[in-house]
Amino acid sequence: MKNNKLSLMVIALGILLLSSLSWAEGSIVIGLQAPITGDYAIEGQMAKQCVEIAAELINKEGGINGQPVEIVIADDASNPKDSALAAQKLISQKVVAVIGSYGSSVTEPAADLYERNKMVSVGYGCTAVQLTMSKDRKFFFRTCGRDDSQGQFFAKFAVESMGWKRIAIMHDNQTYGKGVAEETMKYLEPYLKEGKAEVVYYDAITPKEKDYSAAITKLRETQPDVWYYTAYYPEAGLLVRQGREAGITIPFVGSNAVPNDDFVKIAGIEYAKGTLMTQEPMPQDINTPISKVFLEAYRTKFGDIPSSPWPIYAADGLFALVQAIKNANSTQSEDIANAMRSMTNAEGITGKILFTERGDRKDIPYAMYKYNEEGKLQLYQP
Amino acid sequence: MVIFFEQLINGLTIGSFYALVALGYSMVYGVMKLINFAHGDLFAFGSYVGYTILVWNSGRITQIFGIWGGMAVTLLFTFMVVGIAGILVEKAAYRPVYPAGRLPLVVSALGMSIFIQNGIMAVWGPRFQAYPSESVPSVSFEIFGIHITLLKIFILIFSLLLMVIIYYIVEKTTFGAAVRAAALDRETATMLGIDIRKVIFFVFALGPALGGMAGVMNGMYYRSIQFNMGWNYGLKAFTATILGGIGNIPGAMLGGILLGIMESLFAGYFPSGGAWKDGFTFIVLILVLIWRPTGLIGEKIAEKV
Repeated sequence: MKNNKLSLMVIALGILLLSSLSWAEGSIVIGLQAPITGDYAIEGQMAKQCVEIAAELINKEGGINGQPVEIVIADDASNPKDSALAAQKLISQKVVAVIGSYGSSVTEPAADLYERNKMVSVGYGCTAVQLTMSKDRKFFFRTCGRDDSQGQFFAKFAVESMGWKRIAIMHDNQTYGKGVAEETMKYLEPYLKEGKAEVVYYDAITPKEKDYSAAITKLRETQPDVWYYTAYYPEAGLLVRQGREAGITIPFVGSNAVPNDDFVKIAGIEYAKGTLMTQEPMPQDINTPISKVFLEAYRTKFGDIPSSPWPIYAADGLFALVQAIKNANSTQSEDIANAMRSMTNAEGITGKILFTERGDRKDIPYAMYKYNEEGKLQLYQP
Repeated sequence: MVIFFEQLINGLTIGSFYALVALGYSMVYGVMKLINFAHGDLFAFGSYVGYTILVWNSGRITQIFGIWGGMAVTLLFTFMVVGIAGILVEKAAYRPVYPAGRLPLVVSALGMSIFIQNGIMAVWGPRFQAYPSESVPSVSFEIFGIHITLLKIFILIFSLLLMVIIYYIVEKTTFGAAVRAAALDRETATMLGIDIRKVIFFVFALGPALGGMAGVMNGMYYRSIQFNMGWNYGLKAFTATILGGIGNIPGAMLGGILLGIMESLFAGYFPSGGAWKDGFTFIVLILVLIWRPTGLIGEKIAEKV
């Protein structure tokens, strides 16, 4: 009897010790939902690499008040259905907050799930306006810009800087692509009224197909001065190739989901060179204290810097979350969300990270980029 | 008129991919009465085999044999590899299941399809792979305002040639007669001394091998390949097979080419036709099946008593 009591006490003590130990050592787990497989796999894989390097840098400097940051990954396979599954997986693992995801229509169902389960999520590539504007989401943020600023940038650039008169706009009927196309139309409107420009082609292609020759022939017959494609890179690569082979020689401008190495691979370097991109600053053109350290660490580990801007925003999502948790001194979602909205001291790779009341990132600049002969992006000045 | 001819040529090119894949479906169905769902994925496998040969040792094959020689070597090698793969698929997934009847066989075929697709993903990765541009002719020219690439012409001629050869083998040779006999009635053919195993071997090697070559040409034509590309082409080719009359060799060719032409003309002429073209082709398929349940040139099959 006595012995039993003693052993019970010892066990209880042991459990207490163990649990307190694990609490002290316990890491803060952040989820990353990204397209590791599927059509946008390259963007997901680079995001994974970037977030892991960001976590290493953060942990080297002591993590969050001594607790290391740990990343768990959920693959959303670039489609909305798997996105919901990935979100559920992270929710059931009770991570502190989530970074993700890349595509707008993929992010939407996941953002709803995180919202319902009161979990902070930070999108890194989803730029559709409606994500923050169509619903009140308390726990959704994004470190990337929004499509309307891109549409505005293109409209002004096309008409005022380049003097393109006959404009062709092509999208893919998905949340992101259609969004940019509609926003571009909106900002072209004043020029159209003044007669400074004309939209001669405005249509959608079906994503995931191989043959776009029908759409390309139609576009060619409208004799545009510029061809603005506002959707993702797999189709963009095919369109450029098939367009050039069908004799379209006008400038091709891609929106910010077009440029990355896979685009160059699919289009072939001979057709990719000279294409223009409306784009947030690329990693190599960002000049902040963190960007140097980060890109150096990335290059050492993977040989080259990321070929698209989005993975950088995923890493920035982690920097923002870590700072918010530090500021809030809590891992409760409400506290983190409030801290995200009010913080002014978060530094990311792309500079200061400030959020609006609706969760959008403030002050994202756009620039025009051009693919050079080696298939690398360079700032373009007309 | 320019648009019409451009779309027609596009349709013929796409159609010849469908036709080559459909041939494999039709041959296997004719002899085995099995819808080989793994066929589309063998097509994708062929595409990846071709890709691997062309990028091997940073384009060694093209350097040695030149562009056209390299293409020929690639096509030939893919033909053999995918042919062997087809035989292995039959050995591993179908032969053990024959006695169980047709339904387990179809399930086994579906399983094989998933296996091959994921196998491709595991070996070559989930990302897009692109055929190297040095290994494919990129000559394009204009005749009467019509833009054509040399590659398109090559694909058209080569596919037609393949179809003619297959047609000749199946319709004019003694061995072809055995294949047709096995398709008509397996038991009787066996009783009359036809070695059915040889026929099965033949259709399971030749069908996938043709599909594999179509895969290589598809990769050269569109440049980008992905592990799950087989599903869509499998579905389209299956549609083509039914359209032409399943189990019928000329029917598969006709169905494939027709399907390609219909698709691209519809996409070219109807407003937002690109998004609706699949719907359109399936409507045509349904109408054809109502009018002729055995397909366009399918023979009437008498009920077995």
